[in-house]
Amino acid sequence: MAVAQPTVDPARRRPSRLQRLWAGLALVFQSRVGTIGLAMVLFWVVVALISLVWTPYPPNASLFEQNLPPNGTNWLGTDHLGRDLLSRLMTGTQVILLKTRLPNGLVLPIGVAIWGVLGSLVLGTVLGLNAGYRGGWWDQTIMQVLDALIAFPRIVLYLVVIAALGQGDWVVILAITVTGAPGVARLVRSLALDIKTRDFIRAAETRGESPWYIMFVEILPNARGPLIVDAMLRVGYAIFAIGTLGFLGIGLPPPDPDWGSMVNDARRFIYANPLAVVWPSLAIASLVVGLNLFADGLREETTRYQK
Amino acid sequence: MSQPTPRIHPLIYEAQDQLRRGRITRREFMRYATLLGASVATASALAACAQPTAPAQEGAAPAEGGGAAAPAQEAAPASVQRGGTLRKAMQLQRIDHPARMSWVEAANVVRQVAEYLTLTGPDNITRPYLLERWEASDDVQTWTLYLRKGITFNNGQELTADDVIFTIGQWLDPDVGSSMLGLISYWGGMENVEKVDDYTIRLHLQSPNIAVPEHLFHYPAVILPRTFEGDFIKQPVGTGAFTLAEYAEGERAVLKARPDYWQTGVDGQPLPYLDEIIYVSIDKDAAVAAIQAGQIDSIYQPRPSDYLALKDVPGISVYSVGTAQTFVLRVRVDLEPWDDNRVRTALKKCQDREKILQLSYFGEGLVGIDAHVSPVHPEYCEQPIPAYDPEGARALLEEYAAEKGIELPLRVTLATKNDEAEPEIAQALKELAEPAGFDITLDITEPSGYWDRWTEVDLGITAWTHRPLGIMVLPLAYIADEEGKPVPWNETRWVDEEFTQKLREAERTLDLEARREIMCDIEAIMQERGPIGISYWKNVWNITRSEFQNVVAHPTSYDLLYEIWKEA
Repeated sequence: MAVAQPTVDPARRRPSRLQRLWAGLALVFQSRVGTIGLAMVLFWVVVALISLVWTPYPPNASLFEQNLPPNGTNWLGTDHLGRDLLSRLMTGTQVILLKTRLPNGLVLPIGVAIWGVLGSLVLGTVLGLNAGYRGGWWDQTIMQVLDALIAFPRIVLYLVVIAALGQGDWVVILAITVTGAPGVARLVRSLALDIKTRDFIRAAETRGESPWYIMFVEILPNARGPLIVDAMLRVGYAIFAIGTLGFLGIGLPPPDPDWGSMVNDARRFIYANPLAVVWPSLAIASLVVGLNLFADGLREETTRYQK
Repeated sequence: MSQPTPRIHPLIYEAQDQLRRGRITRREFMRYATLLGASVATASALAACAQPTAPAQEGAAPAEGGGAAAPAQEAAPASVQRGGTLRKAMQLQRIDHPARMSWVEAANVVRQVAEYLTLTGPDNITRPYLLERWEASDDVQTWTLYLRKGITFNNGQELTADDVIFTIGQWLDPDVGSSMLGLISYWGGMENVEKVDDYTIRLHLQSPNIAVPEHLFHYPAVILPRTFEGDFIKQPVGTGAFTLAEYAEGERAVLKARPDYWQTGVDGQPLPYLDEIIYVSIDKDAAVAAIQAGQIDSIYQPRPSDYLALKDVPGISVYSVGTAQTFVLRVRVDLEPWDDNRVRTALKKCQDREKILQLSYFGEGLVGIDAHVSPVHPEYCEQPIPAYDPEGARALLEEYAAEKGIELPLRVTLATKNDEAEPEIAQALKELAEPAGFDITLDITEPSGYWDRWTEVDLGITAWTHRPLGIMVLPLAYIADEEGKPVPWNETRWVDEEFTQKLREAERTLDLEARREIMCDIEAIMQERGPIGISYWKNVWNITRSEFQNVVAHPTSYDLLYEIWKEA
């Protein structure tokens, strides 16, 4: 007796999350630029992961002669306190990408730079969407406040935030959030001003959707391309911001390394040991370039079919 | 009318006897004798008459600039060359009234034009300068200052006691706002300053003090003409070897040699040897590049990183001198856990002094004991340097923790400023103290952020400057006032009755040997139960291009430039 077999396997009908992630990544792999960028970013992620369990030497221990050039023992040389630069460079990746130290010894996954950028993205997006979509006094009020914030010198803003709240990773995140949000908001506002004139927005309004729905479900996904690129750039700014804060003595507390502070520490001894500045600078540059290439590739591929 | 023979203080003869017996060094004798009013020539003659029968202990002498009071012109070769310009990088702040100066940089410009009654040289010896000599009474409460005769200001007016009295009046005038007012409060005001004649001034001190000559060389204490109206840039009148040709705050200062200066060089002509000094106000990093390129000749107060960058560069010479400048690791003894001496002692034991010196200052200093007295101070009592002892520290902390019912590690926050060597000391200490059971969080802020709260933080590293005598800093930072409250700069709130008593005794003791004995007790008390740790006393450097001769490093970075000459 013939039994009718279902022609479609229900399990196959919806791809799993992993498959969807892979499909997303496959999109990046179609772009050579995006693939190179992803490889560069993944390299640092892998370095950060390895540094969680292994570094050549303890990163904060002064075990060697000071300011040594690269040699067989210390592949990247040593810093002004006789610490192995490779170990510090590896460990420095953690603060950028992998972990955030909270008060009372708690650790939050994902690094300070990423949280800072996420914070400014969230805050900037909410403000920018409201200003751009709602217009009127919403726009006036939000943009006036943000313009005032932008008019403030960034370092003064950092100082105000940190003077008010003290030192620590989460304060640095907040400082990056507060200083980054106005830029994101302006970008999102300009995108929203454009997108809100499209027909599908009229359709959503006709359906009676709430403004929040329209902003976050209709407008935001269509603004993601430039936003992603901007966010990737902002990770680079955030790394530099951490360095600037370190220079002012109000950033991440030593001795745990972060790339920005490594540059600032080594800067004082640049004439005696220039390579100590070069390594963390190269690390910052390569991560920022990697993030940009990745973002470019992603944008390229996601917008290809929209044209 | 015959000149009265200068009276020699009786204690100088005692010191001469000690020198003869090898109990003090010649350097110490010179310092002591000049301090008590003998001229350098007299002191040298007395020292020559007291050749020691046994070699003197040199342990207390500084690493650099030691030896007797040998003014540069004595040591300079006869073949000095005249002319040339010295260009020096240094920040140029606003200058108005010299008595109000609060920066050594400003004083370095002013000191080329105006001069002091005394001079504490690079060897830490204080000599008469505009003074011919001074005399102290046996109880050190009356000081007679004898001015040199025939010195003229650069406006042609002669220097007399009236100018000195006028200047002292400026120091003591609260409206002027001079830091001298507090420093010489023991003088008791103008009514205790007596003009004996045109060249003699007598001070009737309210309380005895042996540091009068040193205080007369405090950097705002330049002697001004009695016609001075309050702004030195508008009226740059002084007795110095240079005249101020140009002063642009934050940009540059130009000083030109004066032809009729009162001191002469080894060639018999009036000093200075140089024609011109130009200070340029540039950033220190830029200065390092500029000196290498030959655009400038010298750098004011080089940092350790500058020393490291320039020490091996051909054509540039580095002059180093030991000082009483230090970075004090200090705790507030009125707060937990530092109110317990076991915790304080444990922290002190965590100092690997050689390692901290090497890491933070590239070995350029003298390791210290945990008492605020430097080996360059004449009354320093040599003590063994405490060893790094994390096990001993841990035992003390465990005892403390058990008593308090807490668990190790002991979490503490160490505050300091992001400046010369403090972040490196802090980071090194954090690592060194970890095995002992301390978990130190570092709170490093920009310098002004720390100076806003330096007396308030629980645990901190504070930079203290050089003072020529060991007894000068202790009353500023480790005693209480008459009402029993810690004095304003007592950042540790540590007040110890026995210590205070010993210090008061030392302040009244002229005899160097006796004072050193008291200082042994003072140092022992500070080491045993004091509130501070001192890993090292730093050297300072003078970095100048090698064509300039007679260059010396001064412990307080004072520019003494009259006898510098430039090799063509």
